[in-house]
Amino acid sequence: MKKWAKNNVGFFFIIPWLIGFLVFKAYPFGSSLYYSFTDYNLFKGMTKFGLMNYQEVLTKRQNVTALAITFKYAFMTVPLKLIVALLIAYILNFKLKAVNLFRTAYYIPSILGGSVAISVLWRALFKDDGLIQQMIRMFGATPPSFMTDPNWALFIICLLRVWQFGSTMVIFLAALKGVPEDLYEAASLDGATKWRQFFSITVPLITPVIFYNLITQLVQAFQEFNGPFIITNGGPRGATTLMSILIYNAAFKAYDMGLASAMAWVLFVILLFFTAISFWSQKHWVYYSDEG
Amino acid sequence: MKNLKKFLSLGIAAAMTLSLAACGGSASSSQGAAPADASTATAPAANVGTIENDGNYDECTIKFSWWGGDSRHAATQEAVKKFMEKYPGITVEVNFGAWSDWEAARALEFQSGTAADVNQINQSWINEFDSAGNVFLDLNQVSEIIDLSQWSEDSLAQLKDVNGGIAGVPVAMTGRTLYWDKTTFDEAGIGVPTTLEELRAAGKTFQEKLGDEYYPLALGEFDRAIFMTFYLQAKYGKAIIEDGQLNFTEEELKDGLDFIMSLEADHVIPSIKTIDGDAAASLDQNPKFIDGRYAGILEWDSAPLKYKNALGEGREFVVGEELKNLGGNDNTGVFTKVSLGFAISTTSQHPKEAAMLIEYLCNDPEGAAIMGSERGIPESKAGYEATEAAGGIDETIAAAHEIVMAASEYAEDPIFESNDLKGSEGTYKYVFGGLSYEEFDTAEAATELYDGISAACG
Repeated sequence: MKKWAKNNVGFFFIIPWLIGFLVFKAYPFGSSLYYSFTDYNLFKGMTKFGLMNYQEVLTKRQNVTALAITFKYAFMTVPLKLIVALLIAYILNFKLKAVNLFRTAYYIPSILGGSVAISVLWRALFKDDGLIQQMIRMFGATPPSFMTDPNWALFIICLLRVWQFGSTMVIFLAALKGVPEDLYEAASLDGATKWRQFFSITVPLITPVIFYNLITQLVQAFQEFNGPFIITNGGPRGATTLMSILIYNAAFKAYDMGLASAMAWVLFVILLFFTAISFWSQKHWVYYSDEG
Repeated sequence: MKNLKKFLSLGIAAAMTLSLAACGGSASSSQGAAPADASTATAPAANVGTIENDGNYDECTIKFSWWGGDSRHAATQEAVKKFMEKYPGITVEVNFGAWSDWEAARALEFQSGTAADVNQINQSWINEFDSAGNVFLDLNQVSEIIDLSQWSEDSLAQLKDVNGGIAGVPVAMTGRTLYWDKTTFDEAGIGVPTTLEELRAAGKTFQEKLGDEYYPLALGEFDRAIFMTFYLQAKYGKAIIEDGQLNFTEEELKDGLDFIMSLEADHVIPSIKTIDGDAAASLDQNPKFIDGRYAGILEWDSAPLKYKNALGEGREFVVGEELKNLGGNDNTGVFTKVSLGFAISTTSQHPKEAAMLIEYLCNDPEGAAIMGSERGIPESKAGYEATEAAGGIDETIAAAHEIVMAASEYAEDPIFESNDLKGSEGTYKYVFGGLSYEEFDTAEAATELYDGISAACG
């Protein structure tokens, strides 16, 4: 008994975490799966069990459209954000004057995060007769109506997330610092241009970090809520209604927990699929130095 | 010492594991029960029978929740303070805020049995959250404390639950009327409209004299649904929803939708696209309303002050009349409803003291006077007299209320404002927005509207 306790005492120390995990993660996870197969409404109870919610999520026009918009949003935001973050990190990796000031300035939007205040500011900037439209008019051009044109509305939501590239940039910056200088020196001696050095040395050596950022940004993009909810409230005409907004509306406006749970599970499976694809693909493009 | 540490660790771990098991047991049992029963799991006030007014009360703490704007918060807090002075020993904890997402938060409280003792409620909440009649206390049980004779039977009937009990007392009755920014009409050189013809003419005059950005009236999707209903009810002489059933045919609804779109075509109202482009959270925060480019609104008679206060300096806000000749006859088509009510949760441990608070806020001369017309013109006779005597009735609200009540022909069915119709993914937004964005024509929109309202009626 004494030996058993000695060997397993570590397990007991993680029990507080385990309790939190079970209560706040595992239980909701499991119960939402159960509810997704029911017509559970907070105030009307549950009367049916079956696949009706999944059928609705995958066939109802509104839901299919929201899924398509979520894909569009994720596949616009993630590559754009990674490219911008890497580009700025690359520039800030040079020995420039006041580089720390620039690093701080670029990082600040990330501290602000997806906050309500920033979303309200974004709305004020892009509304009709807002600052952005006025600036475009100053150049004699006719600006689009960012808030009522479906394509532009989705783009400005993406732009908000892309603008907050600071944390991703800092991670890239740390990776860039880890690339050995002697590789660049050797490449220079061999006559490689900066461009060539970037694609043949820098990018391959930081692929593990690109992979990490890709996964985290993908997860974040599929879960985006604040921006579209506050800036456009899913509009115009549902053009920025991501799945997360539909889940919120189903759960807390219609109190249809069964449908909301099914939506959340569909989103989870999609995310799992893309994460699995990413992990599978890494053997083809991610270079780990310890693999030799 | 080492053994003691291990012993303590094991003990704490065991206790935490047990508490987890306890939580798990409770959760699974509640999962097995029908969720609508959650509110009945602890319903101490539900079975109290009639509570006598013996002049005594318990020293206790009760909770009171409401939504509203700053002026309502200030008046209600003051009334609560005076109530606590009048009844020492009763502490009232208040929870108040803006409407945004208020309903969802309270819904979860009602469902989980953690709602406040006294709640400000919407009429539709009784259908939505109390479908079994076990969330709100039947106020007949506290009729010795709350003087229900101060309300008309008709108004009390609007807050009845499925069991015939009185789920809440109506604080005020309300309906919609038009309000105008008279300054813009003066700038256009015309008077504020009183008939449909004058309103149509104002659209053209605004466009010609003031510019394309000026409209005599601004209507969002739900405003359009109400204005169309006024038109249809006036023209066809029947309520849109009667006995829980849609009372209009698809052709009649198409007529209503054509009417709304004709207002857009005549430059009377801006398109939904134009309003969306303004990106304002609400019309009173829209710069185009504030500076008079949108010169009219259709609003509840209990809520004009936020618009009046939002108008730019020097602009004159006036209460308009319900339009004459809207349906080509003498009907107005106007409906009214209970603007909001006060209800006691069945989970309240202190229903008597909660009832005392409601009595104080609605019927007591001191309490009612402090509350004023912050929730509309008091429906309670005693409350109205006290508020009027104290000069607490706002002139704008009083004028609007008089117009609405004089024009009222129907009582609004709560289904009209159900989430399936009024919600952010609801039928009104889809139909009226889609029409305005030219996604479909009025025939298709009528089909969608007919199907949507029929489905909501069940």
